[in-house]
Amino acid sequence: MNYPHWQLAIPAGMLIALVAVLHVFISHFAVGGGFFLVVTESLARRQNDAALLKYCRRHSMFFALLTLVFGAISGVGIWFTIGLVSPEATSTLIHTFVWAWAIEWVFFFVEIAAAIIYAKTWESLSARDHQIVGWIYFIAAWMSLFVINGILTFMLTPGRWIETQNFWDGIFNPTFWPSLVARTAVSVILAGIFGYITLPKDEGREKVARWAALWMIAGVLVLPLSLWWYLARIPQFSQLYLNGVLIGVRHAVRGGVGFTLLALVLVLLCGLWKPRWMRAPVVALLVVCGLGMIGAGEYLREFVRKPWVINQLVYANDQRASQIEALQSTGVSHTANFLLADDPASAAYGENLFHLQCGSCHAAGGYRGMKRRVDGWDAEFAADILQHIQMLRGTMPPYAGNEEDRKALGSYLAGLNPAWQFNITDGNRLEIGEKVFASRCGHCHTVNGKFRPLRGVFENQTPSQVQEMFPALGMMSSNMPNFNAPDDQALALAFYIAQEAAKPLPQKFAPAETPTGSSHSQLMRPAQLPQGVR
Amino acid sequence: MQTIPIPHVDPLPLPGPVWLLTTLLLLVFTLHLAAMNSALGGSIWALWNYLRGRQSEHLYSRRLANDLATVLPTFLAFTVTLGVAALLFVQVLFGNFLYTSSILIGILWLMVIPLVMVAYYGFYYFSFTAQRGKGIAGCVLATSVCVLLGIAFIFVNNMTLMLSPGRWLAMYRAHPNGWNLNSGDHSVIPRYLHIVNGSIALFSAILAHLGMRKMKVDAEYGRWMVQRSALVFATCTGLQFLLGMWLLLAIPREIAMVLLRGPLAGAVFGLALLSVISAMLLILLGSLAEKPMAMVHVGFGMSLVTLFLMVCLRYLLRLAYLKPYLNLGTLAVRPQTGVIVLFLLLFVGGLATVGYMLWLVARSAKSRASAVAPS
Repeated sequence: MNYPHWQLAIPAGMLIALVAVLHVFISHFAVGGGFFLVVTESLARRQNDAALLKYCRRHSMFFALLTLVFGAISGVGIWFTIGLVSPEATSTLIHTFVWAWAIEWVFFFVEIAAAIIYAKTWESLSARDHQIVGWIYFIAAWMSLFVINGILTFMLTPGRWIETQNFWDGIFNPTFWPSLVARTAVSVILAGIFGYITLPKDEGREKVARWAALWMIAGVLVLPLSLWWYLARIPQFSQLYLNGVLIGVRHAVRGGVGFTLLALVLVLLCGLWKPRWMRAPVVALLVVCGLGMIGAGEYLREFVRKPWVINQLVYANDQRASQIEALQSTGVSHTANFLLADDPASAAYGENLFHLQCGSCHAAGGYRGMKRRVDGWDAEFAADILQHIQMLRGTMPPYAGNEEDRKALGSYLAGLNPAWQFNITDGNRLEIGEKVFASRCGHCHTVNGKFRPLRGVFENQTPSQVQEMFPALGMMSSNMPNFNAPDDQALALAFYIAQEAAKPLPQKFAPAETPTGSSHSQLMRPAQLPQGVR
Repeated sequence: MQTIPIPHVDPLPLPGPVWLLTTLLLLVFTLHLAAMNSALGGSIWALWNYLRGRQSEHLYSRRLANDLATVLPTFLAFTVTLGVAALLFVQVLFGNFLYTSSILIGILWLMVIPLVMVAYYGFYYFSFTAQRGKGIAGCVLATSVCVLLGIAFIFVNNMTLMLSPGRWLAMYRAHPNGWNLNSGDHSVIPRYLHIVNGSIALFSAILAHLGMRKMKVDAEYGRWMVQRSALVFATCTGLQFLLGMWLLLAIPREIAMVLLRGPLAGAVFGLALLSVISAMLLILLGSLAEKPMAMVHVGFGMSLVTLFLMVCLRYLLRLAYLKPYLNLGTLAVRPQTGVIVLFLLLFVGGLATVGYMLWLVARSAKSRASAVAPS
């Protein structure tokens, strides 16, 4: 509410994801690839292997062109993007870690200078001096990773910093070391994968293919252990995201493991066993696997932090936790600096609120679009459910506005789709009931699934008994919205729930703990934060 | 009347004293500008000489274009690297202004990233192909130059817009998607031309300095470099005075008065004028002699001093613009002393490491030169 919201047709967070994934992919290669180059050069010189040395030289030029230009500039791209999308969070990080970034910049500066010198002086520097420059490059690059790793991990696990606000507590937070090992392992994996891009066509081909394979395999061996260590140290609410309830997380985990295993198999087959099979399509597939691995990893890293962008300080929609209460009592129209519409009763105000509160992760349509998510909602239900928004899947920040704001946003959300009109018959009752369930209940519940199953409540109830419970839903729990669907939809819903709850219990029926609820909301409570942080 | 919306400063205190953050900002921004002027001014020089050098009689032009081709990517690499540091410190001190203006021109601001990549790869392409003197090398370099000129324009828009909070809300309401330019500000065009012309001027001074060094190896080529660059430097500096006057007339009167009458800003302004005039005279007079004189080096040094003074002046003008909304002296400060000391030590260590690598390169060049020299 402090800054203008950059209003795009896509969720603004997607821009960060796009820039970050590409940057992380190349920047980790910049670390591992530097290590790979100098060790390979050292090996070539020790063994007096001219072909291997020639490969190093060629690879160093590719390395410089990719990392100096795309790697470095995309890193600046992250700066630009986060400043545009999450200025509040960026400001918090800058005020906390400006000296860490300054130190990282020193290493970056040395890294860039060393990379240029290393790539340009194959003929002019002595073997010893050239390798010294190579080692300087790698040490500077890894130290740059070391520092940035502290800031990135802080965003999920600020640890003791919350109480002490001590710089070192923030940097050396609970996930610093496991994340550093994991990132180093990823760097080594990518060094191996990218090593194939400049694979010699003739002499030395087999040796390089096997050598790069060893790097990739070494990284893959270390990665699972470091991730296991990392996952053991992330907050409880983050761990709960990984229990298989959320489809996106499930796909990302499977994707990450799948890409890594596929890359491993390709490298074992075409790198280690039959290097002559390592042709351009295989190399391209390996690069795709590497990118997929990074994409999945970054997606999970971002997801398990939800609803925060900086745990306990700033929410994913760039609202400070400390401001939520004030916004809920005062309202957005009296607080926000940059509003497109001033009149809370206007439709434009509701749309403006949508962009302010939801635009970081959602657009009206398309990917993560709200249109399909709110199909079937009326304005009253939408305004009601906004009170409990943080309960949906544990991924949403609390609603930051007063009742007037909720009504305005509720009207906007309800207006995204035409109101439902059904001609319910015996033939379509179940289908419509399922649709109503998805719209009214499915954001927080399943009947027989893992996610807050309702089976226990509605088992052995007739449709009319189920329907009789609806008017009391709002009183059953403070987190439940009032039920206000038209009677025909209520009947269809009751019919569906009763049918589902009467089905035999699935063999694997085991409700999972959800990332919402007390454990989560305790973490969220801004009252626990020291005065200066709020 | 509607109040001017200014985002609140961050609730966290500044992690270092204002004077230190300011000093570092001024220092790294000066270095960034020196590198940026080398990249932009150098690429304009390279393009001009590349095109001229295609005619057989202009051998030195072709040679200069080839020489510049090898260093342009490095200039751009350090423009970016040093720019990152400047961006870091400006965010701590002026983040609430800079973030807002960046969002208002969000699309163009983000376009800077792919544009820099295009220019950078263009420089590399030119460095690999310039020697051949044919093909599309000239077109690629021209594209890079145009792209850099575009980037400079975006930066000028953002840096002026961050000083004009009164225009923000209307601009945001007009285009909340970031398709804005600071077009209503009359100072944008003169400021942009001042920056571009200044970059050609400064790189000409650098080239004059390099030409003096080149004279030790190749007297004729070196002299040609010195005399030609001195002429361009003097011309651009003369033009810079006119552009500067235009800029002075375009900025609000009360801000211009700070520049002309403010004790500190006025003194810096006066010193900058003195140093640029002395730089121009030293380089021009030094280059006119049959054997250009060492005063060219001094003139080059004075042009760097001018650059630093102009950076200081720009900072003082920014403070004057933001005076109604920001007083840096009132911001809460909680210095992270241990980390600051560590940074300063590493900064010195980093410079020493880069110096050591350059020494390795110089030592090897010297030993190779002595190995091939006739006994």
